[in-house]
Amino acid sequence: MANERTIDIWGDRTPYAAGAEWPARVDEHVVEQPDRWVESACVLCSNGCGMDIGVRDGRIVGVRGRADDRVNHGRLGPKGLYGWQANNSPDRLTRPLVRRDGDLRETGWDEAMELIADRSRELLETMGPLSLGFYTSGQLFSEEYYAQAKVARAGLGTPHLDGNTRLCTATAEWALIESFGCDGDPGSYTDFDVCDTLFLVGHNVAETQTVLWMRMLDRLHGPDRPKLVVVDPRPTPAAREADVWLPIRSGTNVALLNAIQHELIANGWVDSAFVAEHTVGFEALERLVSEYPPERAAEICGVPADSIREAAHVLGTGERLVSTCLQGVYQSNQATAAAVQLNNVNLLRGMIGKPGCSVFQMNGQPTAENTRETGANGALPGYRNFANDAHVDELAALWNVEPLTIPHWAPPTHAMQIFRFAEEGSVRFLWITATNPAVSLPELHRIRSILSQERLFVVVSDAFLTETALLADVVLPAALWGEKQGTYTNADRTVHLSDKAVEPPGEARSDLDMFLDYATRMGFADRDGNPLLGFSTPEQAFDEFKRVSAGRPCDYSAMTYELLRGSRGIQWPCNAEHPEGCERLYTSHRFPTHADYCESYGHDLLSGAENEPDEYNAHDPQGRAFLKGAAYVPSPELPSDEYPFLLNTGRTVYHWHTRTKTARAPELEQAAPEVWVELAPEDAERLDVADGDIVAVESARGRIEAPARVTGIREGIVFVPFHYGYWDEPEGSEPNGRARAANELTITRWDPVSKQPIYKTAAVSVEKVADGGGAARVPAVASQERFR
Amino acid sequence: MNKIGLALKELYRAEEELADEYVKVGERLAAEHDVWYDCKRFAEQCHTHAGAIRPFASKHEEDLPPADDETVGETSTAALRHKLSEALGRRPESGLLLLRSLRQLYLQAQEVSFHWMIAGQLAQATRDQELLSVVDELHRETLTQIKWLKTQVKLASPQALVVGAGR
Repeated sequence: MANERTIDIWGDRTPYAAGAEWPARVDEHVVEQPDRWVESACVLCSNGCGMDIGVRDGRIVGVRGRADDRVNHGRLGPKGLYGWQANNSPDRLTRPLVRRDGDLRETGWDEAMELIADRSRELLETMGPLSLGFYTSGQLFSEEYYAQAKVARAGLGTPHLDGNTRLCTATAEWALIESFGCDGDPGSYTDFDVCDTLFLVGHNVAETQTVLWMRMLDRLHGPDRPKLVVVDPRPTPAAREADVWLPIRSGTNVALLNAIQHELIANGWVDSAFVAEHTVGFEALERLVSEYPPERAAEICGVPADSIREAAHVLGTGERLVSTCLQGVYQSNQATAAAVQLNNVNLLRGMIGKPGCSVFQMNGQPTAENTRETGANGALPGYRNFANDAHVDELAALWNVEPLTIPHWAPPTHAMQIFRFAEEGSVRFLWITATNPAVSLPELHRIRSILSQERLFVVVSDAFLTETALLADVVLPAALWGEKQGTYTNADRTVHLSDKAVEPPGEARSDLDMFLDYATRMGFADRDGNPLLGFSTPEQAFDEFKRVSAGRPCDYSAMTYELLRGSRGIQWPCNAEHPEGCERLYTSHRFPTHADYCESYGHDLLSGAENEPDEYNAHDPQGRAFLKGAAYVPSPELPSDEYPFLLNTGRTVYHWHTRTKTARAPELEQAAPEVWVELAPEDAERLDVADGDIVAVESARGRIEAPARVTGIREGIVFVPFHYGYWDEPEGSEPNGRARAANELTITRWDPVSKQPIYKTAAVSVEKVADGGGAARVPAVASQERFR
Repeated sequence: MNKIGLALKELYRAEEELADEYVKVGERLAAEHDVWYDCKRFAEQCHTHAGAIRPFASKHEEDLPPADDETVGETSTAALRHKLSEALGRRPESGLLLLRSLRQLYLQAQEVSFHWMIAGQLAQATRDQELLSVVDELHRETLTQIKWLKTQVKLASPQALVVGAGR
């Protein structure tokens, strides 16, 4: 059966014991026999599975997992198996579009690019570089981000470049920086092969990283099953496998993690020698968490104190602990503060930098890591510190530009602030690449009104006519994965090369080619008058980025396309010291916190106030990690009489982002064709709602209607997947009568440190509006019975 | 007249005035979403500080009223300010308004910090360990507020003042 893997999502089990090699299992889906296979990696989640693209007569006809790849050992998830069909969709954009007399009309590249360059020059002249901004993606390739970062920072000289990675992994980045001084996940996926304890916080791994969940499941079903502790308000597949499940009230992660640290310390489950030698801040942390006995957290989080004790006992008595978190932390209240507490748990246990011992600050997207490394988000290339003049000088020298050209008076502007500047009218040019803010940013009526302004010139490069593209002044048709070459890096620092398998459709071009064209038209040059982008191919761009990364933690200097091709995936740092890559960071328990080396001087976790360089210098931790505590602060919006429920938004296993690709893969689209609202049985009964009835969910910002699904979700919480927008409905860019995008409801608020929007705690009301007549057409994975 | 009581009263007054300013700025700048939220939290923090000072002031014969617990979004004029903020939030001048508001908060926060410094000296000179602990913890929070204001100013000033300047 062609779509069996949308039902049997994780496939057959291949159990294995601690320390054994994860058995290979090659997953393949082809619609015709390929005449050749082209090496690549999947881009439909953050896991970074190695895959080959099957090509026949110049078209993609299927994919298969790479058996010897270190990430997936041959496996692919449902999105990977079926999602490639989007490349062949008849909906692909094939020619540039420009807005004339209110409508988007087809035109040639020269005219479209000249329009963009004209507008850029005019704004540089009249308003200056701070009137131009870029909002990029977690979907481009490393080489493209690098070119984009150079164009923005050194070509135009604007701090306004950020990625949609701000919505998915900004907190991963900042939690790593706050604890370890620098970005970069320390662990290796092989840590899952040897751990004896797993701690998953707000990480619905079974749906968001299906292949990693296969690895965990194979351990959980193996001979020496690791203990599993799961924190999640929804009865996710991982929660159902857990030894201890804590279905906490949304927005209370910090209180829970403080109580767990309280128990670790009170019971002596702390590696005191490690803490004394390799960390700073223990005394203040101990003082702070002493105020969070399990009883207090139980009251805040709405879970029994004994369950918290039980969880702490598991975490405190295991010998090899791997902790992970994702959007249940990153998109929730006190995101960075909570993610840092998870780092603390592993630091207190002394469980980092050793096989089976690590914390994973997971990523949301396949190339999110690369925006962080190349400086296409809120950092400078190579994890450089904007507040450290020596770092800026070094970058300026590498780029052969004046240091003052590179904006570094403040951190590069975060996405929500770029949209705020566009709202107030000081940003007048916004180039959006491979992302769809008209569905994915919070409070959509506001985002649509910003993008629709006459005074704002909006450029969108995309493969499809998205909700956002429909609001643009110029739309550029982009080549997708498989139609261009480049590299990307996953959450355990594994780098893959993705070769070009087929030609893009029509006149579509890679984003790299668009930036090169733009840089040429704009005449961007270095100090000697040479072209600023001194490269014209992906490999040349990669070689330049390698030089820029040399000496920094994400050191690519010894990596080449040749080395990557045919490899199992190579983990950075890859340099003279580690010519074949490096499996684990911090094996000597020295952390990149030195004042002259760290990526940031850190923040006050509650307010986001930046630490001053002098202050940091005075207390230079010189290679020790930080133990930073944080008091619990309630969510910015709490349930009220008018809006008594908490809204939780998130992903389903079948869709990716705003369905631009996955809705064009028939198996995935059929598996989850329509938005739904998950309700707890108690709430459904009170509201007189049966499965499939249509309910309205309303917040102070908007209202949606969708069929209800009664699940084992925690009472008082409703869940709505965020993927569904309007491009496949009549109006295209906005609701036509009945709204269905979850982000109509969400709140414009972000974490003070990572600036990641808070998607998972908005107050809403729920009411029944119509009988449904039968069960909702929602994915099987969401319909599990309550099990406790 | 008890001079120590008077000094603590000055601190109390400065905290209450700073709280009021946070409330006003928060509402006036509701379109700056992070500012709105943090101002609300800092206003509450200032009231807590003022409340913590009261028992020490009364020890020194200075009876202070209970801390006002008015917060952002709850005053009678809040809705009006909020609406005005949304209307003005569409104009580039809103950056200038933000800078002016941050300046006022910065000056008042410095004043509060000044009085905390004096309170710390008094605590030492009168060997009041309890007051010393309070000063130590709460003054640090005021210094964090000042750091937050600096962070905001550094971010906001180029955009408010340089875009379109003199062109």
